[in-house]
Amino acid sequence: MSQSSTNHASGSDSAVLLDGVTKQFGSHVAVSDLTLEIPRGSIYGLLGPNGSGKTTTLRMIMGILRPDRGNVTLLGESSDTVGGRVGYLPEERGVYKKMKVIEQLEFLGEIRGMTRAIARKRATAWLERLGLPEWAPKRIEDLSKGMQQKVQFIGTVIHDPELLILDEPFSGLDPINQDVLEDIVRDFHARGTTIVFSTHLMEQAERLCESVCLISKAEKVLDGDLREIKRRERSGAVAVDYEGDDAWLGGPDVEAVEPMAAGVRVRLRDGADPQALLRAALNAGVQIRRFEIVEPTLHEVFVRHVGDEAAAEAGLPAGYEGLGGAA
Amino acid sequence: MRIVMAVIRREYLQKVRNKWFIFGTIAGPLFMIGIIAVPVLLELRNDERESRIAVMDRTDVLYDLVEERLGETLEVERVVYSEGAAQELDRRVEDREIFGYLVLDEHTLSAGRAVFRSADTPSTLRRVWIRQAVVESALEVRLLDASDTENTRALLDGGEVDYQGLGGEAGDGNDRDAALLAGFAGAFMLYMTLLIYGIQVMRAVLEEKTTRIVEVIISAVRPGQFMLGKILGVGAVGLTQLGIWVLSGLLLLTFGLPYLLAVQPEFSEIQEALDVIPQAGGLVLFLTFFVLGYFLFSSLYAAVAAMCSSDEEAQQTQIPVTILLVIPMIALAPIIENPHSTLATSLSLVPFFSPILMFPRFMAGAPLWQVGLSLLLMVVAIWVVAWVAGRIYRVGILMQGKRPTLPEIVRWVREA
Repeated sequence: MSQSSTNHASGSDSAVLLDGVTKQFGSHVAVSDLTLEIPRGSIYGLLGPNGSGKTTTLRMIMGILRPDRGNVTLLGESSDTVGGRVGYLPEERGVYKKMKVIEQLEFLGEIRGMTRAIARKRATAWLERLGLPEWAPKRIEDLSKGMQQKVQFIGTVIHDPELLILDEPFSGLDPINQDVLEDIVRDFHARGTTIVFSTHLMEQAERLCESVCLISKAEKVLDGDLREIKRRERSGAVAVDYEGDDAWLGGPDVEAVEPMAAGVRVRLRDGADPQALLRAALNAGVQIRRFEIVEPTLHEVFVRHVGDEAAAEAGLPAGYEGLGGAA
Repeated sequence: MRIVMAVIRREYLQKVRNKWFIFGTIAGPLFMIGIIAVPVLLELRNDERESRIAVMDRTDVLYDLVEERLGETLEVERVVYSEGAAQELDRRVEDREIFGYLVLDEHTLSAGRAVFRSADTPSTLRRVWIRQAVVESALEVRLLDASDTENTRALLDGGEVDYQGLGGEAGDGNDRDAALLAGFAGAFMLYMTLLIYGIQVMRAVLEEKTTRIVEVIISAVRPGQFMLGKILGVGAVGLTQLGIWVLSGLLLLTFGLPYLLAVQPEFSEIQEALDVIPQAGGLVLFLTFFVLGYFLFSSLYAAVAAMCSSDEEAQQTQIPVTILLVIPMIALAPIIENPHSTLATSLSLVPFFSPILMFPRFMAGAPLWQVGLSLLLMVVAIWVVAWVAGRIYRVGILMQGKRPTLPEIVRWVREA
């Protein structure tokens, strides 16, 4: 099933290495023989519908769950010893409601091996950056949900980890805070932090990720560099907006022509060269306003591999068609 | 280690700052002050009126004896019998000059019957004292052997049997009673504290599980370390509270008990029990049993919490653990009655029962090797229980929803 560019994970350049990892809960297989490599310094998306095994995978990366089979290597070590170098934001986010904001952040810093004084300094700086400085001495239960989520995020990054693992970090955030979080993620990326996050929102992954891994029903569907995947998964469709005669569309390479709001979408036969179509159009004297090789959206890639049903479970309307290429 | 310290520190500060902790810690000593102060104050208030009674003795021989017995707690006034004296006394009672008056006559001497007239019925205790004083005085008059008053008095006071043990274990009868009382009180305190702080650990673990904070924490701290930190943190809270209670209790008893004994001499056994505990090294053993018992039971309670997803579930699931504490409490009375029986010996060596049963047996003079063995067995049990509980904790803490079945728990322990 797996079409992978990293079937045999190797190399010390990877931040996370899973090698044939399997986890079962009773008779339910949550993750099956998963092998993947997350390059250092990348933004990596773990994508799949709810219940496909994303959270279990992230928990095994964190060493919270032990795989039944296979190996996990984190920053070149076993996940037991790197607690202080990794920041983890679980999907089910919790806080000590009765604790003061600053004390909770100090505590989260301390358990990652920081001294209380340094943790306090960093927490204060982060609270200021996220616009919450006056809330430091307040109890967490007095904060709004959005503010609590910000505090949770500060707790995840307070020790300036080399590797950030975020489980559905954008769920439950309003659009403004989603943008704030995206900015911070890009910021960490710019400073060389490896960021792994799971999501079922394909569009978000497309905007942020350099590499992705698609999983469905406990198994890897495909993984690798996002641009490479898209190139590989091109459907042979071309979007053309033109003025003039349409005889050039009758060539042997053209399988179907669908009208669009502006121009047409041309589906080519397997192996046909889009450049030949462009030449044909120019030879016919047609005036081209736009000629674009359509790259599939992640959603389309996903649907192609797992079928409409699984895609629908992923939370997107089945048959959603987008002209992608935003990568 | 610094990480475990951070966990302990957080747990300790959060608990100690909690208003219920402060309330409970202060309420304990206040309760003890109350126990001492209420009778003393009542007695002081009574002095004004309720403790004044008159005795009209028509036998002429009883008054001195009755006065001697009641004089300790009441102000007694002699009234000579005359025509109209009774009416005069009724008036004084109605005017609240005296609480009441006792009429002694030939029926008192012959059958121990007397009359006490008052506006309000005397308290139960006071009724017993008055009757006892009357009857004992009548008996004394009738038994009175001029040559041997003292022995008659000793006989009337209940006599005394000196219980002597051949092996030298039973010791002095009075000391032994006091030791048994101290043993019983200690067992009861161990039961209460183990239960209270065990449940505290359960609540703390459950709170972290239901608020889901635990997943963040065990991504940085190993579950075993985290569980240890929590247990030590709550334990430190327990020791703080116990320390405050014991200290204030000792201060109170040192300065307050003499006042209590002055008004209620029947509490003298408390004094004796207090004298016995430190003598026998009981305080050290008490603390040892508390610490070991706490580790044993808090591990169990932590595992219970890790299995559950809600307070209601935890309430049910903790029952088997709590039963381990209740069984020795049920066995306590017969074992104190008969501390050297085979049943007492074998039950008190079961690690889960040892704190509550071995402590009173030690006070009752159980052989030291048995005490030592029970401590050793407890240490072994803690090691085993902590290992199993740690594994249940590790897996359970992330599980939400359905409570696991027994076979599932066995699998957790095997696979974790």
